[in-house]
Amino acid sequence: MHKIFVIALREYKAAVKTKSFIISLILLPVLMGGSLAVSIITEDNVDTDDKKYVIIDHSGLFSEAIQQSVIQHNESEIFKKGTQEKIKPAYFVEFVNPDKSDSFKQKLELSERVKSKELNGFFEIGSSVLHPDNDPGNAFVRYYSESGFLDESRNWFANPINNHMRKLRLEEMHLSADSTKDLFNWTNIEDLGLLKVDEASGNIQDAEKSNPIQSLLIPYILVMLMFMLGIMGSTPLITAVMEEKMEKIAEVLLATVTPAQFMAGKVLGSTCVSLTTATIYIAAGIITASQLGYANMIPYNLVVWFFIYLIFFLIMMGSLFTALGAACNDNKDAQNVSFPAMMPMILPLLVLMPVLKNPIGGLATWLSLFPPFTPMLMITRMATPVSIPVWQPIAGLLGVFLFTLFAVWAGSRIFRTGILMQGQKPTMSNLFKYVFRG
Amino acid sequence: MEIIELRQVTKTFGPVTAVRNLDLKVPAGTIYGFIGPNGSGKTTTIRMIMNIFFPDEGSIHVRGKEHESSRLERVGYLPEDRGLYKKMKVYDVLKFIGDLKNTGNIKSEIEYWLKKLDLFDRADKKVETLSKGMTQKLQFIATVIDRPEIIILDEPFSGLDPVNAEILKEALLELQKNGATVIFSTHDMNMAEKMCDYIFMIHKGTKVLDGTLNSIQDKYGNDTVRLQTESGIDVLTGIKGIEKVNDFGQIQELRLSQGTDTQGILAEVMKKSRILKFEVTRPSLNDIFIRIAAPDRKEEYHA
Repeated sequence: MHKIFVIALREYKAAVKTKSFIISLILLPVLMGGSLAVSIITEDNVDTDDKKYVIIDHSGLFSEAIQQSVIQHNESEIFKKGTQEKIKPAYFVEFVNPDKSDSFKQKLELSERVKSKELNGFFEIGSSVLHPDNDPGNAFVRYYSESGFLDESRNWFANPINNHMRKLRLEEMHLSADSTKDLFNWTNIEDLGLLKVDEASGNIQDAEKSNPIQSLLIPYILVMLMFMLGIMGSTPLITAVMEEKMEKIAEVLLATVTPAQFMAGKVLGSTCVSLTTATIYIAAGIITASQLGYANMIPYNLVVWFFIYLIFFLIMMGSLFTALGAACNDNKDAQNVSFPAMMPMILPLLVLMPVLKNPIGGLATWLSLFPPFTPMLMITRMATPVSIPVWQPIAGLLGVFLFTLFAVWAGSRIFRTGILMQGQKPTMSNLFKYVFRG
Repeated sequence: MEIIELRQVTKTFGPVTAVRNLDLKVPAGTIYGFIGPNGSGKTTTIRMIMNIFFPDEGSIHVRGKEHESSRLERVGYLPEDRGLYKKMKVYDVLKFIGDLKNTGNIKSEIEYWLKKLDLFDRADKKVETLSKGMTQKLQFIATVIDRPEIIILDEPFSGLDPVNAEILKEALLELQKNGATVIFSTHDMNMAEKMCDYIFMIHKGTKVLDGTLNSIQDKYGNDTVRLQTESGIDVLTGIKGIEKVNDFGQIQELRLSQGTDTQGILAEVMKKSRILKFEVTRPSLNDIFIRIAAPDRKEEYHA
């Protein structure tokens, strides 16, 4: 054990005392929070350029209503009250009569105007949109543009068109808007958690409103943290071990330590580096959440599970990457094996959304009990507000423990053979040969 | 008493037999030289002694105990290809290796060896800043930092200038004097002749020589004449009984055929030129090496 600790200590010092460690410490939250930060920053940075549209109204019913809505929008909605800062684009509409002889030609000409940036898009309102049953084929409202899916204008125009249709239909039924006010009242269903008993007082606590931070953000942060720690802690082991092999450092050390001790020292060292990083982030996260008044949302019991799973995850990945590094001869070899080896870290991310949506579903349950995926997926499921059966984290941990033992055993077999083997490619057949025949 | 013993050791790599049925006994406290052409099996033998490679057949005993899977304690090993962490400082790398080897008094040992090998002023420098010779000396210190009982060095003198080679030789002799057993492989026959108590030669995986220098040379007898004349190599033309001539310019080294009378050779040469030197001697280790490793190699002059 002494030799393992000496190697681990060297690895730890070599990693922690570098500038790259400090940089990566800062970079990790930047990468993780990058998309969030970008969306927050860009939220206020909306496109305020004026927009011009053409409307072809086959029904002839909407020009006045849309025009009024546009005028109202341009007068009251595009400037921030008080500062007069422009916060929304102004809309300008032009109504054209439908070309009944050749509608395609008319729409092609309008499309050319959109391409030349003279227009932002054009709408086509079908002739029977007010009474769809009369002629379903012409009961449509279409929007033509270069990127209609992302264009917010499409949604904006839906309101004046539908409101005006509603008004016309009520008039036809001789009903006033006031008398039908309740008809259009829509009640949303409130999203609440479950009631529980306060352990201290014994009183029943009312259900709390479901919190998106609890539902999505905490699982997302934990799984991304585990992923990033795996990427930053384990993957560099491939090149580090390969360099030690090619620069003959391994042979010097193998005169003093066994391959198993050498590998164990390296894995322990990198695991400790990642745990240091994790501790810093988790501590910083808890302090920050407490400062911001979210102390009651910190899932302390989950932090313990997170660290238990993280330790096994890092040992499992570390053994895999160390073994592969020992089997590589050059950077090309290392590149070839890196991506397949990262699969146990990448695949859980691909199924993250289905698991978050239904943490107790069959897919989430079985994938989270598959040992290579267990650390990331089980912690994801546990971090959601949904209660998962108590046996599952324990069964998952047992599976991970056994799989980690296997990974360390197989890794040390590959390492023992590969570390002094020159010229042999790290193919699957060679790796299996190293594991089972030595 | 043998501190290392190899019994019928064989090691193959795929279709290649690197070492075949090797028996070797290294007495404690001696200096044992391993010689042989490149690829003959020296490094494989050393790696098997170090328990880095495992023999396919036979057994290796160190201090009377057969090898197990654990590492050898108190055995220093300098591999053929040197390797140290380049980004570490000289002192730190020695501390790391010393800690791995459970070295007592690590600080004083590091200081002692750095001073002895003229590296003390480099203690705070990174390994990558050292010259090749300095790195080799540093690697040597890492090998002997724990004052091992057995020191195994794979070509320790290669790449060293004469001054550093002399420093290294003195350090090795000091360690031997203090009781260490030293094994080293080398292509420097002169160094092997002068330093080694025993010499072992391996060729194509098979042992071809093993014993003291005297016993090896005795096998070949006094079949060598070192000659210096005023006329050079030309005086040897037509003289019978000369098997091969190695021409060094000023001196010619003659290998005589079996049963040739050296007095007859002397008389023949005297007829042709004035003789400055005529020495009947045993073949050098270098000559023996070449005779074994390249028996068909063309000499400067073939009588």
